[in-house]
Amino acid sequence: MNNATTLSKIEPASYLSEPLPLDASKRLEIDRSLSVPILFLMRSSFFSFSLALFLISICAVKLVFPSFLDGISFLTYGRLFPVAYDLFIYGWAIPLGFALILWLMARLSATPLSHIRILTAAAHLWNSALFLGSLAVLAGYGTSVIFLEYPNWASFLLFVSFLLMGLWVLLLTQERKERALYVSEWYLLTALCSFPWIYGTANLMLTWGKIQGSAQGPIQCWYAGSLLQFWLTPIALGTIYYLIPKITGVKIYSYYLALFGFFSLLLFSGWNGLSSLIGGAIPAWMMSAGVVTNIMLVLPMIAVVINFYWMFQESEKLILHQSPALRFVVAGIISYVIATVLSLVSSFPCFNAILNFTDYLSGTFLLFFLGFFGMTLFGGLYYFIPRLTGISWSSSKLIQFHFWLSVFGISLMVSSMVLGGMIEGVAFNDPVITFTNILSYTLPWNVLVTLSWFLLLLGFFCFMRLLVTMRWEMIEEKLPMPR
Amino acid sequence: MNRLRSLFLIIILLFFSSWLGVVVYSYLELGHLKSVAGSDGILPPYYSGQAILGARVYAASGCMTCHTQQIRQLDVTHSDIDRKWGTRPSVALDYLRDQTAFLGKRRMGPDLSNVGSRLTDPIWYYHHLYEPDQVTPGSIMPSYRYLFHMQKIQGELSAQAIPLTGPHAPPPGYEVVPTKDAQDLVAYLLSLKHDYTLPEVSAETPSAP
Repeated sequence: MNNATTLSKIEPASYLSEPLPLDASKRLEIDRSLSVPILFLMRSSFFSFSLALFLISICAVKLVFPSFLDGISFLTYGRLFPVAYDLFIYGWAIPLGFALILWLMARLSATPLSHIRILTAAAHLWNSALFLGSLAVLAGYGTSVIFLEYPNWASFLLFVSFLLMGLWVLLLTQERKERALYVSEWYLLTALCSFPWIYGTANLMLTWGKIQGSAQGPIQCWYAGSLLQFWLTPIALGTIYYLIPKITGVKIYSYYLALFGFFSLLLFSGWNGLSSLIGGAIPAWMMSAGVVTNIMLVLPMIAVVINFYWMFQESEKLILHQSPALRFVVAGIISYVIATVLSLVSSFPCFNAILNFTDYLSGTFLLFFLGFFGMTLFGGLYYFIPRLTGISWSSSKLIQFHFWLSVFGISLMVSSMVLGGMIEGVAFNDPVITFTNILSYTLPWNVLVTLSWFLLLLGFFCFMRLLVTMRWEMIEEKLPMPR
Repeated sequence: MNRLRSLFLIIILLFFSSWLGVVVYSYLELGHLKSVAGSDGILPPYYSGQAILGARVYAASGCMTCHTQQIRQLDVTHSDIDRKWGTRPSVALDYLRDQTAFLGKRRMGPDLSNVGSRLTDPIWYYHHLYEPDQVTPGSIMPSYRYLFHMQKIQGELSAQAIPLTGPHAPPPGYEVVPTKDAQDLVAYLLSLKHDYTLPEVSAETPSAP
């Protein structure tokens, strides 16, 4: 401890992931002030995640047996599939990411949260908009813009409630007592500031008001790319930059590498979405910008991975084996590397000509989404939840089940989507092969994808089981229930 | 980088580069394209009122989840044109009349940019929407039976009654006819014809090498 305090006086504070001298009572005060809104956000995100997994499993079965639940308007594939993805994004990724931002920002700025009622109210508003918006899409009021399917009133409510929640965290950073800014905070503040901007812009141009159709394509792709690079990636990286030093006790390997990784990510993100319009109806320079930035996004990946790698090298090996959080984080980092390489390959125009419009791209997205973001955030949850509730995990076996089912499910899903997509793409490019023939090639891969969704569902049940046990323990021990 | 203000400034500057480059540029340039005068009227042609309603049914049913509406440029791939999905690559002007540009990201069914030129019989569309696997064996398209209703045959068969043979065929004395939504949707699909010649791209395609 002594050593650490002297260190932070000499070196930039960003070397460390958290102000170490924070005393126990202060930490408890911060955690207490946060537990109500954070646990609420987490609970609702878990509910949305299980619902989304359930709906996407139905969709996966529909691809294998097209007559399964067909001819019913609100269960048709074209409505169910977007709703499942929207629930993944707006029901799970954003509230959960926000909960982590809230907790990390409060911890990192050493400030307890005040006036949590407004925050909780905004979270309720978010959930209602999400619920009603999803119902509206199922009822046929969707906009059919990828990731922006909610009708304009629902997306407006989502926007307003995010602004309310986000302003709260910004106020927190204003009031903060700790003056140093940590690496995690760079990433988390980026996500927090950019989401309302990209969501607002995209909706303004595509759903609230509609600009001329000829300009909508690039903006749709920009939104999808930005969501990935300005929300999912920074939150996952911010969490990792917090967790590794915190659990292993090793300081961040290179401050300048971290700085480079952060700025290069910011610089190339946003443009990368254009790569999904290679060969499409956009000016040639936009296409090149999409290709180049998607290739350059390897740089921030390499920078952060080198940093993480050296931190792991310096830490005690025993910790890696014992901490469930780190195990999930490592799976997340590996997914990040593979997903970036896969997306790099598909952005070369010669390969893109084959891989575009196939499952290869869906597989890459899911590896980013569930592998990188999902696994990292589950790692974060295994670390944070016991600290928020004061109860430790009841069964390490269930954690292992969750981990291995997720790893196996994601690997099976992504590899079958990528391989199936390649076969599909090669077949697409041979006009002699009829379309129904191509569909018959993809069928076995679709069966594997369905299987892997069920594995993920099973893995998530293990996690839910752990949470339920925790709740019972709380009641039995007559601890104050976080409500 | 310990100062909050400089961090915000950097985030905003870098973020704005892509925002300006993609969003603002698209809005100012592509968003203000003008229609052109072709030999047979204004191009791209206007949609009929019924087709505009049909585009809403297209959006509501999520057709875009499995069908794209873009023919890729020939320097990237010839496959779209070789598959006879179009006679020329799509250009931004093609989407000028669209309320929402249904570009799509995934092809689990054929591209629909020019489906109105390929298939011209409305009854074929109705039949295909009602029981896709009977019309195209091996298709994984779900049935859109909810866009149709069954009614008792009054006198003689309606002109729009679908000739059904599959497991969902109506009992004797009944017929299956499209609802208003199905009629609008088919009107929209029939109007998807991007085969006119625009100044920037000609329908004369060089033959595949």
